[in-house]
Amino acid sequence: MWGVRGGDGVRNRMTAALGKRVGGETRAEDRATVPAGPDAGVDEIVVEGLSYAYPGACEDALSGVDLRFERGRYYSLLGRNGSGKSTLARCLNALLVPTRGTVTSCGLDTCEPLDIPDIRQRLAMVFQDPDTQIVGITVEDEVAFGPENLGLAPDVIRERVDSAMELAGIAHLAKRQPLRLSQGQKQLVAIAGALAMEPAFLISDESTSMLDHASRRRIVDLLTTLAGRGVGVIHVTHFLEEASTADEVVVLEAGRVAAVGAPAQVLADPSRVMELGLDPLPVTQVGKELAALGHRLPGGILTVEELLAWLRS
Amino acid sequence: MVGRDITIGQYLARDTSLHELDPRLKVISVVVGTVMIFLYPSGWALLAFAGLLVITMVASRLPLVPVLRSLRTVWVIVLITALLQLFLTPGEVLVRWGFVTITDSGLYNGIIFSARVVILVLLLAALTMTTPPLKLADALESLLKPLSYIKVPVARVTTVVSITLMFIPNILEQSRKVIRAQMARGADFESANVFRRVRDIIPVLVPLFVKVFHDADELAMAMDARSYRGGVGRSRLDPMHIGMRELLLTCLFIGLSVGLFFVF
Amino acid sequence: MAAILTLESVSYSYPLPGEGESAALDGIDLQVERGEIVCVAGPNGSGKSTLAQVCAGLLVPSSGRLLFDGRRVESRAELRGLRQRIGMVFQSPEDQLFAGTVTADIAFGPRNHGLRGAELEKRVRSAATIVDLSLERFGERSPFSLSEGEKRRVALAGVLALEPDVLVLDEPFIGLDHDGREHLKAALERYRERRETSVLVVTHDLADTWRLADRFALLSGGRLVRVESSRELVSGYDLGSLDMRLPQWGVLARELVSGGSEVADPADPAELARAIASILEARHGG
Repeated sequence: MWGVRGGDGVRNRMTAALGKRVGGETRAEDRATVPAGPDAGVDEIVVEGLSYAYPGACEDALSGVDLRFERGRYYSLLGRNGSGKSTLARCLNALLVPTRGTVTSCGLDTCEPLDIPDIRQRLAMVFQDPDTQIVGITVEDEVAFGPENLGLAPDVIRERVDSAMELAGIAHLAKRQPLRLSQGQKQLVAIAGALAMEPAFLISDESTSMLDHASRRRIVDLLTTLAGRGVGVIHVTHFLEEASTADEVVVLEAGRVAAVGAPAQVLADPSRVMELGLDPLPVTQVGKELAALGHRLPGGILTVEELLAWLRS
Repeated sequence: MVGRDITIGQYLARDTSLHELDPRLKVISVVVGTVMIFLYPSGWALLAFAGLLVITMVASRLPLVPVLRSLRTVWVIVLITALLQLFLTPGEVLVRWGFVTITDSGLYNGIIFSARVVILVLLLAALTMTTPPLKLADALESLLKPLSYIKVPVARVTTVVSITLMFIPNILEQSRKVIRAQMARGADFESANVFRRVRDIIPVLVPLFVKVFHDADELAMAMDARSYRGGVGRSRLDPMHIGMRELLLTCLFIGLSVGLFFVF
Repeated sequence: MAAILTLESVSYSYPLPGEGESAALDGIDLQVERGEIVCVAGPNGSGKSTLAQVCAGLLVPSSGRLLFDGRRVESRAELRGLRQRIGMVFQSPEDQLFAGTVTADIAFGPRNHGLRGAELEKRVRSAATIVDLSLERFGERSPFSLSEGEKRRVALAGVLALEPDVLVLDEPFIGLDHDGREHLKAALERYRERRETSVLVVTHDLADTWRLADRFALLSGGRLVRVESSRELVSGYDLGSLDMRLPQWGVLARELVSGGSEVADPADPAELARAIASILEARHGG
């Protein structure tokens, strides 16, 4: 199921986890970090005609999706539960392999089993449940897990772990036990773990869904910073607030792309947003009522701060 | 957040020299110790070994109270077996009440047996409290490596063992939650009626299994996404290494343990 | 008429291994009226989950009194009886599903309390209707074959089938998308209406219940700091000190109110729009 076409989910997961390789061995020395090259292929993810159906399902979870993601930009992937957003996220790093169409991540085809390790190194992922992705006994160990899997030398791992923790703002938690941290802190640890891979892209699969507001804010700020540093960030969420600061918003509905564009365009109409199963931004709802009363809000106002600023001027 | 610790010799995050000690040395010492505990011919040897163990723990600043607490979980078994030894061993009769007899050998065996089990538990607790499960798995993998040359899938086995160990707190937490939820719906886990209690296990076991399998799937996926490929080609942030001092002290411990066999 | 649930100086502390005790709740005084929806809000660690469990009879207060329908609840038997009258829905309630069919799972609760036959069937139907779950479609299916949202509805129905007088929900909105939230809110409203029952919703984010709750009980460090309606919250109190924030609606309403506008209902976009419109018209007019 993950990375292998068809097959029973659990069994294949375990097999994959236990290291059954499709093809030859790769030695530690062959693992290199991804240089930030000028080559277009390496710096983008191209999705063409992607369709995916879960084994045994009668309907496609994804149907003819065409998208493009570039490094250094912050994308927000929205949609109601069941719209296919998580499925899409997992097709990007070859956890799922297309039933039809192609996904080319950093120049590599996700259908090519030999390329999967490289893809997974360049596209790091954090998941929704903070508890089920933890493997380490200390935060340091947890963050080191990825680089250890790449067989890097201990001093290289040390360096990566330190800078990843620094970036995520959790260096002071290095020796703590991850399972004893707050949910928000656990997700920061997960992100640090992803950063330690020095990825070209970071995919957040609803990593903020189970957190409180303050933690969500912190994570989104971190993701925005990362985009500023050249990492391509794809943040799957159903909170529109988190999408309002994105460079680009993609909305999925029933496995297809229902809308793509800047937040100001895609999220402005509350009725349309509700049709797509999302919670419209309060300001857009107020804006709609205002329009009915004869006053139009200028486009691009999505948050209360922006509204108040406009009102004062 | 988990409020309570499950103390079956659970890992205690402290900074003792035993914590720092290479896990392979610890495992070897424990294996030797376990064998010796059951080989010692006399109570004096056991006592001396216990003393050796206590000195080691104290010298490395391991807090003894949690170690002793791990005895709580086994005292029932110890008591029962000791009593069995006490009452059923033939020998010179010391006391007789009706059909119950206590012989001198019974008394001796009972005490010795209990002592063996108690010391064993303390030895194991010293290991598990100072060694996180993943390090234990690493140690096992390293020690069993020679077996891989005869095609035993050592790396895979230790992976499975580590993941299982990692899941124990998860399973406990989940069962707590499910029990709580079913209790809120009137399931009775305190009923005097045995049938009722057995029947009410299903509303706990089924969701527990479902959730644990689901979580295992998620974990496997997360590990996959982080390039995990079994033990193959994995390095360590903190590679195990054995210093001269550690090696000498361990040899001393093992030497003394074995030596006691001959002395007493 | 007496409040359905009253807490008088309720405190709760739990023992920490090796470190004495930790006070999760400190001198809580709270009254929940019949038919009311109360939101218990606070940041993580404020004790709100503990409060919910005390209210549901799952935890025994270390001190203070708990009154249900005017009568004290103290003994073990009384507490167990309380569990029948107060239904508790935990986070991720779908994790508790176990039965072979949806109907059987929903029936589990009332069955444990002795109901059988026609009465039992009636309860199950009633609960399913409140959560908008069709028994014709789903009744005989395995709960594990349903989508996440459907599972959650089955779990909720399972508690509603007990027909509790008070429903307590611990962070019920986590992980729900827009449809899920609307469904849940509708179900809670329907339930309240049917039997004049009260609902206690524990949450960390006021936005979840902004348009649902009659009153907000704010917790901080185990203490009940404030109990107010959304209107009152907007006109005065500074939530920042509690490590909480007003939802976007509230922030907007507060600004408008402090600027002198009239906002009767800080949860109604039309009201807020009207207030803004008058400001704009005043500007252009004057």
